[in-house]
Amino acid sequence: MSILLDQTNRVLIQGITGHMGRFAATDLGKYGTRIVAGVSPGRGGTVVEDVPVFDDVGSACRETGADTSVVFVPPAAVLGAVVEAVEAGCRLVVATADELPVQDAIEIRAVARANGAAFVGPNTPGIISPGKAKLGFMPSFCYRQGGIGVISRSGSLSYECCKRLTLAGLGQSTVIGIGGDPVKGTTAAEALALFHDDPETEAVLYLGEIGGAEEDAVAEYAGRGDAKPVAALIVGRTAPPGKRMGHAGALIGSIADSYQAKASLLRDAGTHVASGLTEVAAVVQSALQSQRDALRAATG
Amino acid sequence: MLMLEHEGKQLLRSWGLEVPAGIVIDARDRLGGALAGDAIAFPVAVKAQVSGGGRGKAGGVVRAESADELSRAVERLFEARFSDEKPSAVLIEPWLPIERELYLSVTIDSRAGGMVVLYAPQGGVEIESGPPPARYPVGRASNFRVHRMRQVLATVETDYELREKVISIAQGLVRAAANHDCTTVEINPLVKTPDGKLVAVDAKIVRDEWAAFRHRDIHDARQKLIARQPKLLRECLEMQHMYVRLDGDVGLISGGAGMTMAAMDLIEEFGGRPACFLDCSPGPTSTRGYRPAFAMLDADPRVRVILVSVFGGGTQMQRVANAMREIAKERTSTKPVVYRLDGTNVDQVPPILAEIGARNHDRLEDAVAEAVRLAREGYEHPA
Repeated sequence: MSILLDQTNRVLIQGITGHMGRFAATDLGKYGTRIVAGVSPGRGGTVVEDVPVFDDVGSACRETGADTSVVFVPPAAVLGAVVEAVEAGCRLVVATADELPVQDAIEIRAVARANGAAFVGPNTPGIISPGKAKLGFMPSFCYRQGGIGVISRSGSLSYECCKRLTLAGLGQSTVIGIGGDPVKGTTAAEALALFHDDPETEAVLYLGEIGGAEEDAVAEYAGRGDAKPVAALIVGRTAPPGKRMGHAGALIGSIADSYQAKASLLRDAGTHVASGLTEVAAVVQSALQSQRDALRAATG
Repeated sequence: MLMLEHEGKQLLRSWGLEVPAGIVIDARDRLGGALAGDAIAFPVAVKAQVSGGGRGKAGGVVRAESADELSRAVERLFEARFSDEKPSAVLIEPWLPIERELYLSVTIDSRAGGMVVLYAPQGGVEIESGPPPARYPVGRASNFRVHRMRQVLATVETDYELREKVISIAQGLVRAAANHDCTTVEINPLVKTPDGKLVAVDAKIVRDEWAAFRHRDIHDARQKLIARQPKLLRECLEMQHMYVRLDGDVGLISGGAGMTMAAMDLIEEFGGRPACFLDCSPGPTSTRGYRPAFAMLDADPRVRVILVSVFGGGTQMQRVANAMREIAKERTSTKPVVYRLDGTNVDQVPPILAEIGARNHDRLEDAVAEAVRLAREGYEHPA
């Protein structure tokens, strides 16, 4: 198992005739993702990288059974594209675009929830279930199938950390980029709930940063009696207060936004917090080990 | 993008809120002719127009009782700096009689999945030391329900006539924030005058710069902001790079906000200090994109070494390596550069960097250790 995405998702690419869309058609297909259709208004009836192109999502879904969409269109077109996919019945929609106005993210989140669809984005590399399928532009070689669920606010930080996990022999069930924006399609809390119910996921690695409230949700989960082991890395220890560090959500506006506050909140809840990037695989190991120890103690 | 107070108030006025009738004095005009035609009723509030917070406590708001005091106050405010920022203008407003100062804001909250309204019955400069404001999570604008906000305020604001006015203002602000792509609209204080009016005496409005494509005024404000920056920084901002100046000596050219912060933290872990947060990922990953980043760090006398750390997914690393090679060939600075490129097509990187006699570090920690060592050894500017 994995969360949201595996070999059974029938995927369409919105914006398949663009540069990123065309690249994705080859790259995602090569990884094993079932790409069944592309959408590009006005280009219906053509074929891109062996994938049939439709004018709209509705007809693509009807004719190919697509149930999942990955969106590669410019920021100004994302709202329209995602709403179209959701209303056409897609159960999962991924939009990687950054520079999306937050009001559009709010609207997308509301429409997706009303239609019972999952939305991953914006400002994310996407989602990958290693060995099964990927929806996004993360470098495939960093990942290996296994039991660690990874949640990340930052794209390239997730490549870096997953490569470290993979080198340490710790494969991943699913790696989800929840994105660096304040309003997210899928929040840390929602991703944790999915990992909690996924039998393949043994432990969760959370990659966070200063600012925002996602870490509160992670601490809340880690503090539950039935929680799976949680490890975390929080970046931005050296960031000055009052300055936005690239991501719209990464800003120390109050004490609670700081590295120290987040790290101690997570530690107090029983999360294994890495002191830095180089410790990331080690804290996942120790999270797994502490659970084994607890089990052994419980079974005597 | 934070608007100056007087710009924010202009927006509030256009949304139907009451704001004091003010006069804006531009830094270039000083008091000169600006007041000639205006009959001023004293006392007035003289307010420095700066983007930083804590202005009131730093003496950026002055009361003037006469024309004499007014011109002295204006002069003084134009000479002053607030958190290193010179006021670009001064706003002169009638000094209002105050019965009570309230706090009202609309902002984005991840837990609400959208907008949230915050209200405190005691606003003003001490808002942060008081109890936290009441919070009404709205989500999207069309979710605003008068009766829900009334419930939230039931025990917080006992003056029911005032409460109804506040709710009606909040409803308008939520709708306006959505229509005008504001990520924060904060009115502190919202003043209740003895005649029962609610007047926005301060305004902090943050516009969403990603919405520039559908708002001419955001687009123009961003262009103006970029134009005000020093040349080298301006050229970086024109490439969409994100830059925050820090006080160390290891210059960092990086990709992705999270990775940039991770590299900063690692620099400190290895005993060094980062000179900046410089995320080049939103811009073009070509020579054209990286050139201004190098130009800025090369010209910065504090920077002793440059660390390039990029882990690309959608960014193909042979393209970044090619850009590094081109820049190395044209650079005149002799500041050392340490490279750590990883990600898509990284196997093509080493031979490209070898052409300029550079090596690519496999691990970020090795690159950081090398950069910190070079910074510590000291780099001498060539005479």
